Amino acid sequence: MRTLAILAVAALMIAFAPTAHAIDQSKGHPGYCDNGTGVTVVVDFQQLGGTTIVRCDPQSTRGTGLDALKGAGFQIAGVQRWGEAFICRVENRPSAVEEIPVDGNPDYQETCIDTPPAAGYWSYWHAGNNCAWKYSQWGVKNRDFVAGGFEGWSFSLNATANANPKPRIAAVRPGTEGQPCVAPDEPAPTNEDPNARQPGSGQVPAAADNRETEEPDAGGATGSGDGGSALPPPKPRNSGSAAVDDPADNVAFTGGEKAKDVTEVIKEQSGASDYAPWVAGGVVVLLALATWFTARRRRHARES
Amino acid sequence: MLSTYFLPRDLHPAAWWVWALGLAVAASRTTNPWLLLTILAVASFVVVARRTDAPWALAFRIYLYLGSVIVCFRVFFRFVFGGAEGSTIILRLPEIPLPEWAAGIRLFGDVSAESLLGGLYDGLRLATMVICLGAANALANPKRLLKAMPPALYEVGTAVIVALSVFPQLAESVLRVGRARKLRGGTSGKRFHALHAIIIPVLEDALDRSLRLAASMDARGYGRAGKVAARVRLVTGLLMIVGLIGVCVGVYATLDGSTPRFLAAPVLVAGLVIALIGFRFAGKRVQRTRYRPDRWHLAELVVAASGVAVSVVLFATSSVDPTNLNPSLIDLSWPLLSWVPLCGVLIGLAPASLSPPPEPPFDHEPIRLAEKVPA
Repeated sequence: MRTLAILAVAALMIAFAPTAHAIDQSKGHPGYCDNGTGVTVVVDFQQLGGTTIVRCDPQSTRGTGLDALKGAGFQIAGVQRWGEAFICRVENRPSAVEEIPVDGNPDYQETCIDTPPAAGYWSYWHAGNNCAWKYSQWGVKNRDFVAGGFEGWSFSLNATANANPKPRIAAVRPGTEGQPCVAPDEPAPTNEDPNARQPGSGQVPAAADNRETEEPDAGGATGSGDGGSALPPPKPRNSGSAAVDDPADNVAFTGGEKAKDVTEVIKEQSGASDYAPWVAGGVVVLLALATWFTARRRRHARES
Repeated sequence: MLSTYFLPRDLHPAAWWVWALGLAVAASRTTNPWLLLTILAVASFVVVARRTDAPWALAFRIYLYLGSVIVCFRVFFRFVFGGAEGSTIILRLPEIPLPEWAAGIRLFGDVSAESLLGGLYDGLRLATMVICLGAANALANPKRLLKAMPPALYEVGTAVIVALSVFPQLAESVLRVGRARKLRGGTSGKRFHALHAIIIPVLEDALDRSLRLAASMDARGYGRAGKVAARVRLVTGLLMIVGLIGVCVGVYATLDGSTPRFLAAPVLVAGLVIALIGFRFAGKRVQRTRYRPDRWHLAELVVAASGVAVSVVLFATSSVDPTNLNPSLIDLSWPLLSWVPLCGVLIGLAPASLSPPPEPPFDHEPIRLAEKVPA
């Protein structure tokens, strides 16, 4: 009988086991985009450690920075306060159990509840093909990616506002070296409205539309941890030299083919057990039965 | 020692409050549905096993209804005010366009499974906290809680306890009026008539009861001003109210991770200091003796400690593995759970067996004895 029960539980668990991978291989493809449609997404972990990942979102329609990140197959987590308008983890980094030595707090752990500190957050960059990386002045949901260009995510640890590290992969698709930089000029935000969108953006097909939510949409890449009621737009800051990087200086990268399943990693890190939810469910059912019996017994005693 | 431990008696009401607040604080730390359901089951079982037959004890069911209403509302609002956060769209509703000044608010539109689950987890957490407070109200005798108040807290305590016992009394009224209606028959009338037949007697009952309470408190000398100058009383009252508000804000900010930190420890400490000064002033002029004060025995300590232990375990584990206390909704999967928080919550079951059973009402005792004789 007990073996039967264990077998049944095991079968159920296999049936319900999450099948997601760290990188959703069904979306996008590893490496650079092959042509001018789609956008190449570069995720550089910097001091967090880990190999830089380059993937392509082959989406031929327009989309926001968030669409590009998701369309390339990356798994992200927003903060509880702003939702996906503020990217808190990419590929479960920085994880909830990882200690990040931010200034003033050497064993800071990112819980993704409120805005991450300015000393440790994912900085958001973009570039046209053969252009220099630019620190985005717009939130991840407030601007459209450049078709054929690049979206960059680089973890900024203890950097000042003007010294955020740019992704260490040149924004140059292989085979297009030496071509002129083509990128639309992106005006900086002119007001403090967190819902403002970059001019000319926003004609997104409904299927990929996640720009409007109950959370104020803005500021995918600010580092200010203030307690205002709306997420402020990123502050204008110097985005470094305007010259295009040399692809020869690229760091080693992968397409994320061998990355581990995020759900598995979280399960390991949190010490979760496959059996605990079943035990919890069993306990709840048992207690509910016991409650019902006790209530009935006491009611009979009271009425007699 | 052990022979007297399980003798039926009413526990010190503060012990039940500490236990229930421990469970509520534990619930506030997590959105994991497994843990929240376990906390709910634990609280309900202890209430049913250890409540008395007093009117406030039988109102626990109303708190359960209130909890389910909270959960339903939270989920419903995700439908109304847009729940497209997340990629698994399960329902496409037509979106109602809003004028420019209402930017950021969305009516209907796509609804994703992730945002519905988020609403469910969030609502479940609030419902669990409310039901934990309901458990305290069901188990602790509010009149004896007032008796156990320190003299300095006397004025504030009176107001707080009158306020706290309003809801259980209303609930008890509703149940009683409903029962009377059922006994009279003819309940198949129209809905409006039913509303009419319940609300008016309940309101009348509440009014009667408050007049009775006022009269009895007046007769016992509550609310007497004594020989204190009006200005001194005003200053004392002001100090205490400001201090207690500071304590409330401080406790809230300490427990809620997303409030600015300057509202946490500094406000809490400042509030405590101001309140203590107020208590000192107030305590100096209140001289009050107690008739047969409730004492803290071992059983009270066990009950209070089990509640505190639950919250301590959840606080400790939330700094180790926040991921499974706040399940991620990045991609849909079953919420994870590890053993430590689960076992921690189960400590809260201790009072169901490790506390003395409630005192049976006086008039029931002879009947029970008589029943045993023929058998």
